[in-house]
Amino acid sequence: KITYFQSILSYNGGCVVAMKGKNCVAIASDLRFGVQLQTIATDFERVFEVGPNLYIGLPGLVTDTQTVAQKLQYRTKMYEMREGRQVRPQTLMAMVQNLLYERRFGPYFVEPVIAGIDPSTNEPFICAFDLIGCASTPGDFCVAGTCEENLFGMCETLWREDLEPEDLFEVISQSLVNAFDRDASSGWGAVVHIIEPHQVTTRRLKCRQD
Amino acid sequence: MSSEPYSFSLTTFSPSGKLVQIEYALAAVAAGAPAVAIKAKDGAVLATEKKHKSILIEEHSIVKIENITNHIGMVYAGMGPDYRLLVRQARKIAQQYERNYLEPIPTTQLVQRIAAVMQEYTQSGGVRPFGVSLLICGWDNDRPYVFQCDPSGAYFSWKATAMGKNYINGKTFLEKRYNEDLEVDDAVHTAILTLKESFEGQMSSDNIEIGVCNKAGFRRLSPAEVTDYLANIA
Amino acid sequence: MFQANTQIGDYLVDEHGRKIKLHFDHGTTTLGFKFQGGTILVADSRATSGQYIGSGNVRKIIPITPSLLGTMAGGAADCTYWERVLAKQCKIYQLRNRVHISVAAASKLLANMVYQYKGYGLSMGVMIAGYDKKGPGLYYVDNDGSRMPGNLFSIGSGSIYAYGVVDSGYRWDMTDEEAHDLGRRAVYHATHRDGASGGIVRVYHIKEDGWTIISEDDCTDLHWRYQDEKMASSSQ
Repeated sequence: KITYFQSILSYNGGCVVAMKGKNCVAIASDLRFGVQLQTIATDFERVFEVGPNLYIGLPGLVTDTQTVAQKLQYRTKMYEMREGRQVRPQTLMAMVQNLLYERRFGPYFVEPVIAGIDPSTNEPFICAFDLIGCASTPGDFCVAGTCEENLFGMCETLWREDLEPEDLFEVISQSLVNAFDRDASSGWGAVVHIIEPHQVTTRRLKCRQD
Repeated sequence: MSSEPYSFSLTTFSPSGKLVQIEYALAAVAAGAPAVAIKAKDGAVLATEKKHKSILIEEHSIVKIENITNHIGMVYAGMGPDYRLLVRQARKIAQQYERNYLEPIPTTQLVQRIAAVMQEYTQSGGVRPFGVSLLICGWDNDRPYVFQCDPSGAYFSWKATAMGKNYINGKTFLEKRYNEDLEVDDAVHTAILTLKESFEGQMSSDNIEIGVCNKAGFRRLSPAEVTDYLANIA
Repeated sequence: MFQANTQIGDYLVDEHGRKIKLHFDHGTTTLGFKFQGGTILVADSRATSGQYIGSGNVRKIIPITPSLLGTMAGGAADCTYWERVLAKQCKIYQLRNRVHISVAAASKLLANMVYQYKGYGLSMGVMIAGYDKKGPGLYYVDNDGSRMPGNLFSIGSGSIYAYGVVDSGYRWDMTDEEAHDLGRRAVYHATHRDGASGGIVRVYHIKEDGWTIISEDDCTDLHWRYQDEKMASSSQ
């Protein structure tokens, strides 16, 4: 039997992008779940709701995507009950950092991306991590996943300051779709969440299916 | 020790359903030096009596009011050594929280967790309950908080309260003097007057301690500041 | 950050975990079959290097003579170069002998050429298809020097999917339209399942009078077209 192997982070494919806008943020991901080059499913969601205005995308090894999502859900729900308040984006960032660094020498193979709006200040927030919990909080956009490089290129080109929700949707969608259309292991559909202080709009994009 | 008989927790229910060890702990508190806490509109105040056993003691080498975080302070009535252990634990809890969530611990959370520690000491083997009640004040969410934490692990939120020796007189005094529009300066004033209710001898910056909490954080007043306040009373 | 800087095929490992020198005809779906009406060749148009999609409209079916076609899988440079050399040889053969070269002879020329370079790391998995006086011809040739005639071949990482479709729908006595549709569907399904295949599905048909391009459809158009068909047939 002949097998070959690439990075465990790109074993299942998938990518996530988050962007800041004017009083809004967006997070989007593809929908492919594959095993190396084989596409198994095209309806796999890797972005999870943490609170009313808070989402986290977990691209990487899918078994770890699910484990990390579940562990985070446990921790955030315990926090909400203990403190009687919603988890803020900044707080989630700290929780993810701790969760990932606890496995410093045997990491979860995910590179999370957070997008949310602070419930008290209505301030947009995005951040991204490497797989052992080093966070970065850029002012424009965050990308992660198998077509990270492509996404950087698209976002650098299309992103502008103070995008309104409708424009942000267009920019993040075009960035994502055109990035993963040049990637063999992500794509096959996409989901976009536009987060505003009092509403979240979720849309699915019609994409190439190859 | 566990091989010996009767090495179980000292806090065992009496036939009447009481935990006498906890009541003894409360007695230790009631015999301790008085402490007062008052919540004001724009902050909170802690005050306590600090009488020395000998005139030879270096007065300001002993402090009773402690910072737990930048915005939380604590004082006690009861046994000093027990208090210092709780201060250590409280500081540790606060730092752990800040490490976990990258934000200062909310006062309510700190109180809950200290109370949990105190409760643990009423139910564990080989330990005794703490001989202290705590007064904890803090500022977060743009408002002040004042809590009391008892040896049983029970905790209460107060507008103003007193504990330690003569606490009943102190509370009665506060009930008369307290009003919702108090500002921090007035609250310091009231706190001193409350202590004065049962104070024997001359009050000075050597024998009382005051802590103030507001938007800027919690801090213990310097002897000079205490002297100023005392001067205004006379 | 951990970085995936490996290429597909970097680590080929046998059952003992030893690295072995063996080529996977990766990043492609090509399909060829003979039937009553001639020979059909179908291929996708995606070129990948690692995960990256370098191009979406490659021509993987290469004209060799007006009645001979070659497909490419494996190293793009190897395939295009050696099939160009083959085209030259075929043309010279025709000029010298005043007859078109047979499919058997052309494929053997190629097999002999790559055999000379055996062990030098060429990567090719090709089909040579055409029409000669014996009728429709289809040969498989690879960089090991293998050469074999057959009725049906599929080569590339998407071949397993294409085989699945063709095997379940193949008949010798298909009409031309049925054969085109079968080939197109087979490669479309491969592009859908295989990350390294995609782009445009090109269908070529070789008959007695030479080859013609039957269709060139974007995979995604095919996807929604087939999806609609499925919905229509399931709602009946």
